[in-house]
Amino acid sequence: MPTSLFYPKAAALSYRLSRKNLKRPAGLLAIITLAGLGWLARDWAGAAPVAEQPLALAQQFVQTQKPLVCVHTLLENEVETAKILRSLAMTRELGAATIVQFFPWAYVEWREGEYDWARTDSIVRLARLQGLRVIARLGLAPDWARPAGATLTNLPNAAFAGFAEYAAAFATRYAKDIQRIIVWNEPNLSAEWGFQPVEPARYARLLAASYPRIKQANPAAVVLAGALVPTLEKPGSRVGLNELDFLTALYELGAGAHYDALAAHTYGFRDAPETPPQPRRLNFRRVELLRQIMVDNGDSHKPIIITESGWNDHARWLHAVHPSQRAAYTLRAFQYAEAHWDWLEALCIWALRYPVDLRGYPDGYTLINAEFLPKPVYFELQAYARGWAVNETLWLPPPVET
Amino acid sequence: MRLRPFILLAQTALAFALFMMAVLHSGRPDRERAFPTGALRIGVDASYPPFAVDDDGALRGLEIDLAAAIAREIGLPAQFRNIGFYSLYDALISGEVDALVASLPIDATRTDDARYTSAYFNNGLVLASAGDSSALAVENLGGKRIAVEYASSADSLLHAWLADGIALQRMPYELPGYALDALRLGQADSALTDNLTYRLYQRERSGWLSTSQFITHDPYAIAVRRDNHDAWQLIEAALERLRAGGALARLIALWA
Repeated sequence: MPTSLFYPKAAALSYRLSRKNLKRPAGLLAIITLAGLGWLARDWAGAAPVAEQPLALAQQFVQTQKPLVCVHTLLENEVETAKILRSLAMTRELGAATIVQFFPWAYVEWREGEYDWARTDSIVRLARLQGLRVIARLGLAPDWARPAGATLTNLPNAAFAGFAEYAAAFATRYAKDIQRIIVWNEPNLSAEWGFQPVEPARYARLLAASYPRIKQANPAAVVLAGALVPTLEKPGSRVGLNELDFLTALYELGAGAHYDALAAHTYGFRDAPETPPQPRRLNFRRVELLRQIMVDNGDSHKPIIITESGWNDHARWLHAVHPSQRAAYTLRAFQYAEAHWDWLEALCIWALRYPVDLRGYPDGYTLINAEFLPKPVYFELQAYARGWAVNETLWLPPPVET
Repeated sequence: MRLRPFILLAQTALAFALFMMAVLHSGRPDRERAFPTGALRIGVDASYPPFAVDDDGALRGLEIDLAAAIAREIGLPAQFRNIGFYSLYDALISGEVDALVASLPIDATRTDDARYTSAYFNNGLVLASAGDSSALAVENLGGKRIAVEYASSADSLLHAWLADGIALQRMPYELPGYALDALRLGQADSALTDNLTYRLYQRERSGWLSTSQFITHDPYAIAVRRDNHDAWQLIEAALERLRAGGALARLIALWA
């Protein structure tokens, strides 16, 4: 049936745009102009975004023999849902039951009082469908909540209540899916604290503001303080404050009442995982020094979650190791933690994958490259986590002349 | 409505714009504008042999020689600044140096600030085989023993080939030199390493005959500030002359 019978005005317009008229330059110009104006008007009117249809996916389950195995994902900066899904599927296939995932306040409440949960919902849903437990890391202040020109990590005192409200809203919305929430990230590092002087007292106030609101929203939520970064910076440094002094100060300020578990970062750098800790050395077992501070302050009942860890094998970084060492140390770190750290809830490797390869030393930390090509350390960790036969020797002995 | 006057006007404007663009871009690069200090200031990272090392205060290496040769071609003295790898771009953007010659891979995320020359070295992965026969082709690797540094990017590629159904025999070693040892001693049919490792290994064993072919490409290029078009033109032209005259190849052969 001809369309013109139902849409006479369209038929009239169709006539005006007939081939005869199109032969005239003036007519063509008018059509192009009208089309352009129409397109602009569409933008000015704020064309409604096309809602993303949820993918129909079957529920998956993580098969693992090693519940400590966890990875830090970086899905918040991923554009395509398919890449988020693939990252999470490869996490499941790795045998990691847990992920740490960043949910920036600035991405959700980018207009004051209006929460845009679409992206966050998608990540949480896809993680749930892969059978993964999510540890949520919250941080980054929206534009309206921080001083003009300040970085996203700058959270003024006046914004603490707003951050706590976001944390509470997050805890409420994802109460069924997320039971571990980290308040901010690396507050003992100036760069993560808005390039301001690091002040344990201010972080203690942030914890005090956030803790009751999160617990009110979801009483089952475990609030994590930290995540403290390993550093040797002394008091008064412009870069930061070592995490040992920082945690000690938090206890002196009474902040122990405002967290249920500690999030900590611990990297191996060039030391083997078994190397004993020392206050003036950065290595994997340094987290034991944090543990001792917790014990000394009566918090031995609280667990630690290592939310970032690993070794780096980038050829151009002074603190890197050989790729073979990286893989071997990573496996031995899990074995050490499993055998010695009964207070550890999860050991999360930084990082599963970056959305793009960074062409620098951070690439030396990932398990998968930007093209989703797994690195051999991924396969070794997978064999360990899933209880497959792990090669007793990862490599062949050096060749000798026969 | 008579359109002819408007069409003529539009044509004239377009012609004028094209003419101006041609004029602006056809000028010879201005050396003084490109390097206002009167020297070619080069940022290097002297911690990466054989490209650049600090030998008791004296900078040596392939990139030191290359940058000096480029400066000579341009007709300026070379001034080196030894900068840590992760501060190189800051030094370039802030104007502390005019160019970076520091084994830089071409990084798309830097192209708002930096412009790269053509590559002077390819440190991609090579498949090496012993003897003077041509190197093994990837499609013929089935059943072959391939030596590789365990957990390296070369090893990642072997895993991918295995996943693609190429039934090769993966022979992982702790260090890349061991993988090449296995090839040299006839315990492997081929070795997969980065080009630099292969070249340095072969250089130390001049009596050992082997061949290689690139499997991946990882070009190193010189970075110049994006807004300094004259500097880019002068450096690229100098690099091209060194390449065409064989000087670049000789420098690479000298160091790697």
